[in-house]
Amino acid sequence: MSSMRDIKQRIANVSSTKQIIKAMDMIASTKLHKAKAQLEGVRPIYRELKRLVEELGRLEDVQNHVFYQEREIKSSLYIVLTSDQGFSGGYNANIIKKALEHMNQGKNEKILVVGYKGYEYFKKMRKNIIRKVVDVADSQVYYGSESIAKWLLELYLSGEADEVFIAYTHFENVLNHIPYVQKVLPISTDNTDKIYESAMKYEQGLDTFIDHLIPLYLHMKLFRAYSESHTSEQAARMVSMDAAGKNASEMIEDLTRLYNRKRQAAITQELSEIVGSANILNKGGTL
Amino acid sequence: MAKEEPKYVSEKKINLNITTPRGLKFVEEADMIIMRCIDGDLGVLPGHEPVSTVLGDGILRIINNGNEMKLAVFGGIAVIEDKRVNIFTTIAQRPEEIDRERAEIDRRKVEAMLEESEEHQFHKLQMLLRHSLIRIEVSSHLEESEYLKHNVEDEEE
Repeated sequence: MSSMRDIKQRIANVSSTKQIIKAMDMIASTKLHKAKAQLEGVRPIYRELKRLVEELGRLEDVQNHVFYQEREIKSSLYIVLTSDQGFSGGYNANIIKKALEHMNQGKNEKILVVGYKGYEYFKKMRKNIIRKVVDVADSQVYYGSESIAKWLLELYLSGEADEVFIAYTHFENVLNHIPYVQKVLPISTDNTDKIYESAMKYEQGLDTFIDHLIPLYLHMKLFRAYSESHTSEQAARMVSMDAAGKNASEMIEDLTRLYNRKRQAAITQELSEIVGSANILNKGGTL
Repeated sequence: MAKEEPKYVSEKKINLNITTPRGLKFVEEADMIIMRCIDGDLGVLPGHEPVSTVLGDGILRIINNGNEMKLAVFGGIAVIEDKRVNIFTTIAQRPEEIDRERAEIDRRKVEAMLEESEEHQFHKLQMLLRHSLIRIEVSSHLEESEYLKHNVEDEEE
C-alpha cells in the first residue's frame, strides 16, 4: 500500500496533467470552430464544381479527354491526409487502415503523405513515399493545395501515375467522422446516361473550358479534403481530450477518497492508542 | 425596400450567384453583367443562351437599376443559363474589401522588380501587376487602359 505522502503526490501529478488536458481541449475546440467555418465555406463551391465536372463527363466528346479516359494502370498515386500531432484518439489509425485496405488490392502504389503521423507510419512500413507534406501552417493550406494540384496534374499527364486516389476523413459532426478513399483522376464517367450533344455552348471551346475547369476543381477538391480532415482531427482531439479530462477528474476523486480514508484510519489508530494507554495509566499500571 | 419579393420572381433580371472557397459570396440581381473572359469581355443580358466560359483576371461589372457595381474577379468559371449566372472563382472582391494601400504598394514593388526581372519571372510579375492594377481600379475607378497607354508611351520614349 502506498503511503499518504505518495497519494498526495499522485493527486498533485494528476491535477497538473488535467490542467494540460483542459488547455488542449480548449485549443482544439477553438480550432474546430475555425476549421468548421472554413469547411462550410469550401463545401458549396466543391459540390457545384463536382456536379459540373461530372455532368461534362456524360458528354461523348469528353469521354476521350485525357482527364476522363481510363488508362491501363501501371501505378497508382495515393494522397493520404493525416495529422501532425497525436492525442486524437483513433483518427490517424482509422484513415491509415482505410488507405492500406485500398492499397492491398494489388496496387503498385506511390504515396503522397500529408502529416507527420502518416509519414512515420508509412516509412516504417517501407512504402513508396514520393512526397511528404508536414507542418503546414493553417494560412498556407489554401495555396499549398493549389501547388499540390498543379504537381498532381503534371504527374498525371506525364504518365507517372495512371490513377489518383485521396484518403481523407469526412466530417459529419463532432462525434462522427468517417474515413473515405475517393478516386480523383481519371474522373469517373457515367456510361449509362450518355449525352451526345450538349445544350450548353462553350465560349472558348470545350477543351479550353475543361483545361481551366479541372485545375480549379482539383484545387478545390484537395482544399476541401484537407478541410474535412483538419476539422475531423480537431473534433477527434476535442472528444478524446474531453474523455481524458473526465478520467482525470475521476482519478482525482478516487485518490482523494483513498487519501481521506487513510487519514481517517491514521487518526483512529492514534486515538485508540492514546485511549488505550490512558486506560492503563488510570488503572494504576505503568507503561 | 418596402415590398419584399423572393429573388426569383422578377422576370427580366439575371440572378447572379458568385461562389468562392469562402462560401456563396454574392447573391445579386442584375439587368446586365459584363465579365472579363480570357479572350475578351462578355456581356450578358437576361435570356442569354446557355454558355459556359472561362474567366480571366478582370473587373466584373454588374449593372442594376442604373447603378453600376464593380467587383475584382481573378480567374474562374462562369456558367450562364437563361436567367441564372453562376460564377465560380477563387477570388472575388468588392471595392470596400480591397486594401487600396496594399495594392498600391504591391504595384510599386512589382514595377520595380519588373525592371530587373529575368525571363522566367516575367509572367508571374506581370500577373501580379495586373492583379494590383485591377484592385486599384475597382477601388477607385481609375482606368486601367489609361494607365497602360501611359506606360506604353513611356517605354517608347
